[in-house]
Amino acid sequence: MKKKVLTLICSAVMLFGLSACGDKVETAQTQDTATTQESKPAIDISAATLMSDGVLNVGCEVGYPPFEDFAEDGTTPKGYDVDIITAVADKLGLKVNIINTAWDGIFAGIGVNYDVVCSAVTITPERQETMIFSTPYINNYQAVVLLKDDSKQVNSFNDLDGMSIALQKETTSDILMSDYKSTGTIDIQIVANEKVTSCFTQLQNGEVDAVVVDSTVADGYINSSDAFKIVYEDQSEPEQFGIAMAPGNEGLQAAINQALKELEDEGFIKETYDYWFGAAQ
Amino acid sequence: MKKAELKKHSGKIITAAVIILICIILGILKPGREALMTQTSPEMQKMIDADANSTRKRVTVTYNSLFIINYASLSTSGANVMSERYVGFLGKVYPADEGAMKVVGQMVNYTYRMLGVGENLMHGAKLTITLTTLTVLFGVLLGTLLALGKISKKKILSKLSGAYIFFFRGTPLLIQIFVVYFTVPGIFGFAWRDLFGVNDAEAVYKGAFVAALIAFALNSGAYCAEIVRSAIQSIDKGQFEAAKALGMSYGQTMTRIIIPQSIRRMIPNVSNEFIMVLKDASLVFAISLMDITTVSKNIMTSEGSYLVFIPALVIYLVITAFFGFIFDKIEKKFSVYE
Amino acid sequence: MSDQYEYILKTEHVSKRFGTLEVLKDINLSVKKGEVICIIGPSGAGKSTFLRSLNQLEKITSGKIFIRDELFLHRENDHTVDKLPREKQQELLLEMGMVFQRFNLFPHKTVLQNVCEAPVIVKKEKKEEVEERAKELLDRVGLSEKANEYPSRLSGGQQQRVAIARALAMNPEIMLFDEPTSALDPELVGDVLKVMKELAESGMTMLCVTHEMGFAREVADRVLFMADGIIAEEGTPEEIFTNPKAERTRNFLNAVLEA
Repeated sequence: MKKKVLTLICSAVMLFGLSACGDKVETAQTQDTATTQESKPAIDISAATLMSDGVLNVGCEVGYPPFEDFAEDGTTPKGYDVDIITAVADKLGLKVNIINTAWDGIFAGIGVNYDVVCSAVTITPERQETMIFSTPYINNYQAVVLLKDDSKQVNSFNDLDGMSIALQKETTSDILMSDYKSTGTIDIQIVANEKVTSCFTQLQNGEVDAVVVDSTVADGYINSSDAFKIVYEDQSEPEQFGIAMAPGNEGLQAAINQALKELEDEGFIKETYDYWFGAAQ
Repeated sequence: MKKAELKKHSGKIITAAVIILICIILGILKPGREALMTQTSPEMQKMIDADANSTRKRVTVTYNSLFIINYASLSTSGANVMSERYVGFLGKVYPADEGAMKVVGQMVNYTYRMLGVGENLMHGAKLTITLTTLTVLFGVLLGTLLALGKISKKKILSKLSGAYIFFFRGTPLLIQIFVVYFTVPGIFGFAWRDLFGVNDAEAVYKGAFVAALIAFALNSGAYCAEIVRSAIQSIDKGQFEAAKALGMSYGQTMTRIIIPQSIRRMIPNVSNEFIMVLKDASLVFAISLMDITTVSKNIMTSEGSYLVFIPALVIYLVITAFFGFIFDKIEKKFSVYE
Repeated sequence: MSDQYEYILKTEHVSKRFGTLEVLKDINLSVKKGEVICIIGPSGAGKSTFLRSLNQLEKITSGKIFIRDELFLHRENDHTVDKLPREKQQELLLEMGMVFQRFNLFPHKTVLQNVCEAPVIVKKEKKEEVEERAKELLDRVGLSEKANEYPSRLSGGQQQRVAIARALAMNPEIMLFDEPTSALDPELVGDVLKVMKELAESGMTMLCVTHEMGFAREVADRVLFMADGIIAEEGTPEEIFTNPKAERTRNFLNAVLEA
């Protein structure tokens, strides 16, 4: 009983600490890239169309941690996407201007209010019909999370048979698990929640046996609390997040892809992932 | 007197009997499950056959039977989505993939899901009705105790009851639900599911239901306390004096004289409280339970159909009308002496 | 039940204050078994308050109340100095039946249930026995055919007679009447007074606060005239009604009898 209280307090303190040092790291990064800029010339962006000179305007729905969220001051955006797009802009010799916008209609603003959208956007065939994407900068899988001291073996979703599963309502996890259930593949009790945080609390309290969730989110939780472990990730159909741009702006797309490649090669993307999500991808 | 009453209602009784009879006939005439299932296209049949030997099945079979009409759908997930829908009515099977029949099929399916037919008591309309009824029942009992405490001459009792009422009326029900379901087990290291044991597959819903019921009843008790208190205080002082002059104790006076008279005065307010709880029941979405509102919202977000809210409204109105009728009867029963 | 007492009811120096208002000032009264006493006087004289203090519906500020010569309650300056143990108090209070101005019948119970309630619940008597007695009592007040009606179906006079039967069902030794006919239409007063008269003739000890001068004159053994919280005059009906000594009594009687 005491242990649980302790864990709760610890996780709260850790979360607090995490968000508090977010600012510091960010400023350190800007300094880093400033030095890189001096030693190495910026990527050529002459073929790209930009709304204003020297600035990359980015549409982002700030409020989806750990991808994007406001720091404690309530105005400074921070998160994985913020770090990535800032580094990309640095490579292009541009300043970043993040424009907070609602998710509904976020894509309608491309080329109108901002040059790109970098906001945990999944690359899908439907979206590719109306916009162009950079190469993926993160892969997301469906992951199964159990309590750390649970000895159950889960090597595929079929092994969840007979369990009670918590997941976030109307997410990929929900659609996938509901399909497993409704087709009769496995017999599970689905506990659908509005907030992903409720799923983890239910798991911790022992109300459910497992949580099925985006691997990125799972990594974030494993990082901030030692109560959980990931036992299975479905590698077969990854969801990939990309930076979205207006169709026809292939010049910008090429430049951004070049920047992402350099960041990948330098290990910056892995480093940033480890920083925000803890475990290695 | 009974005979006269029967005569008065004979029109209504006959109408109800005729409607029930028609429903029974329509129910008998509707095509069976097999009839709907044998309509499948060859492609779909191939998928079904493939599923038989596969550990990962692809075809979702839905069958909803709603008294006089039934609905079946077969759909596959994955890259190549296929779906076929049928509605059965009056001995015929209609394809329901488009047009008016599609709407009919959707309505049957949505109503079926919101009513929670074939599900346990922790689902849809069943959940809403069970939770609301039990909440108001426990709420009135708890509220009576609290009201007696509040008007008690014992200072401590009165202060404690006052504090309870202040606390539960002064904080949102949603947070109270969170506290009962998440915080309390978190601190004391137990799970609501444990009440029903690991072997019960549905223990997770039952546990959440118990937690919800506790939160709702504690909350409703505070509101009912005020209802009961004002009803008791509206009783003529002469009743207390007459009881006292006849040698009745405080307890006897309350249970035999005052409370029975207060009941009639409480009922309109308790009926209001019932309707409030009926609507508040949708807050159980926060602890993974699905009442009528939550089911309809889910259908809306997953299927993008705004039509779902029409059967939702109808279901709510039917429930409200039914319980309004019950409360009316109770009120009449308690006012025979007036 | 022993008759080894001098006074069935006695008060010494009873006072009652509501805030700064002195409603009762030093009331001394002794009642012997079988006496019928009528209390008359202008409204606001403290008649009802005095009656209600006797069976503890009001707490006296100071003074002593004796029942059957036992010190029932002694209070000084709103503090209880001495009293009988609670159970004994309760037992003695049951010897006092009370009839209210506004009847105060239990509206949710039938006439018969009203009469039977207290003997069954308080005295734990057998229901069948009580019902039998209750029917006799209802017969005595002339309402046996109304036994299964609810009070709301009865006239005021009938309700008051049920209230009397209800009080009598507890077999009290003394009956207190608090203006029993004041809330009644004039034509209904007679039936109630008739019942009260019969009761007095049967030997019941009675204390009646009343405005019915005819009744007081005919039935009372003693009449008290109260004004401004004191007993201004006391005597037989003859003395009070034909030859009142105090000025105030004369004025009051003139005013009442002229009307």
